[in-house]
Amino acid sequence: MARYGMALNYKNCINCRACETACKEENGVLLGKDNYRIWVGVKEAEGLFPNISIASQTYHPSQCQHCSNAPCQLVCPTNATYYSKDGIVKVDPVKCILCTYCINACPYDARYVDQRTITVDKCTFCSDTRLANGETTTACQATCPTKVRVFGDLDDPTSEISQLLAKKEYRRVKEHLGTEPKLFYIL
Amino acid sequence: MNTISLKKLFYFEKTPLNLLMAFITVALLGAFAAGAVLYILHGHHAYNVTRQHPWGLLISMYVFFVVSSTGLCIISSIGHVFGIPEFQQIGKRAIAGAIITISSGFAVIALEIGHPVTMLIYNVLTPGLTSAIWWMGTLYGMYLAFICLEFFFLAIKENHTLSKFFGIGGLLVGLAAHSNLGAVFGFLVSRPSANGVFYPVYFILSAMITGCYLIFLMYGFRYKMNFPAKVEVMLVKLSKILGMLLAVLIFFEAWKILTAVYGDLPERGATIMHSIKHPNFWFGELILGMLIPFTIILVSNAKAIKATVYASITGMVGIFFMRYDLVHDTLLYPMRTLKISEYELAPTFLEYFPSFAEFAIGFGGIGISLFLYYVADKVFNLDESHSH
Repeated sequence: MARYGMALNYKNCINCRACETACKEENGVLLGKDNYRIWVGVKEAEGLFPNISIASQTYHPSQCQHCSNAPCQLVCPTNATYYSKDGIVKVDPVKCILCTYCINACPYDARYVDQRTITVDKCTFCSDTRLANGETTTACQATCPTKVRVFGDLDDPTSEISQLLAKKEYRRVKEHLGTEPKLFYIL
Repeated sequence: MNTISLKKLFYFEKTPLNLLMAFITVALLGAFAAGAVLYILHGHHAYNVTRQHPWGLLISMYVFFVVSSTGLCIISSIGHVFGIPEFQQIGKRAIAGAIITISSGFAVIALEIGHPVTMLIYNVLTPGLTSAIWWMGTLYGMYLAFICLEFFFLAIKENHTLSKFFGIGGLLVGLAAHSNLGAVFGFLVSRPSANGVFYPVYFILSAMITGCYLIFLMYGFRYKMNFPAKVEVMLVKLSKILGMLLAVLIFFEAWKILTAVYGDLPERGATIMHSIKHPNFWFGELILGMLIPFTIILVSNAKAIKATVYASITGMVGIFFMRYDLVHDTLLYPMRTLKISEYELAPTFLEYFPSFAEFAIGFGGIGISLFLYYVADKVFNLDESHSH
């Protein structure tokens, strides 16, 4: 069985936000300030004119980190949040009671309330849409013009993501919390 | 148990204090109904909670009510579980108060949880045993059953052995439930200002303080400040217990702040500094909730019972701020630290102010408590029965 993860060449990101749009389109995420599964964070340039560090301005594409030790799953009182057999952290809307404890527990702000089902929603690596139809890429990956994202099976040593992670240095967000995220930011 | 007609139930002496309390009760019940209608019409859109600040005043008020309930249960157990004679007189009144306050808490949380019926089903079918909310909810359900049976054998079909049995059960399950409620916040690894052992322990301590304040308020109203000698003896002793508990709380808080600020750990030191600079903390929690009652008890050597009753009003206001800050301060530090839109600044400490519907439901819960207490006082004899 696969163990899906994603590597991000985040320094290639140009903040075009095609990924945000593709995600909304593919997964039917509603418009609205709080309704998003993925986003691009903007770290502004540091320093005062004329000594402004252009290199310090970076874009950080982000989403659910699909942690192997997910705080959101631990705190769910009805096991509505669960790991799929592919290691994807998912929410069963039938069991979700909307206590929003998982939103509080997530260190990455990756969850929100879906106004269609009035339950908690989050990134699923397009498992219900693209992967279920036999695709091997996520919508955000497929649409990215600068090839920031590489999605694949971490347990397959021949997969593109495994090859990339074997060759490049990377960091994971808030790794010190012991969440074991499966999003890898290539340095 | 008294058999009374509807007319007698709603008859009361028309003193200014009684009329004021009646007005407050009806106004708060009306507010609760209005808030409930707004929630039914608009769902969570009626509240000012957001993706970044998903819990608000209603969670605070739920905690406020269950803290009150557990506190009353613990304080009442001094008498009829641990057998200290002077405290046996408070048993029925305190346990009635415990049932009433937790029922109000459940009424408030029912309008905060998005799918309460689903909760009842899947809490049983697919229990999340690693979830503090699951344990808290399940144990509080058991606790309510225990204290209802305890009250039944105290006030309706008097049986000291059974009331003591269910009293011990209610106390133990209540303590477990309440510390689990603290763990709901203490288990949040993503929130360094809340994560750790402090809240599960602090919840028990602040529950006992809340229980003392409520006993003072209930007896102050019951006897209109003209306390019989037996009650006065009990209240003086309770005042001494309250003073000691407040001293421990001030000590706890001081060390919580010092350890949080020391070394300025990321996300923790700055969050705690931000929260203690806010008037909600230094005026609400510290002055109203701790220092005014503590000073009165200290200066009067715990003998100024009437002043302590008045201080219990400020104490309960302080307890409210403790519960409000508990939720807000936990969520203060943003989990998304980078801006995601051109038209915003980089995220900083989160702002939150409750909506009308949140105020109406949250404070309306107090109206439910006042009304149920009025009914309980009429229907049951909440004073000590001589056969007890």
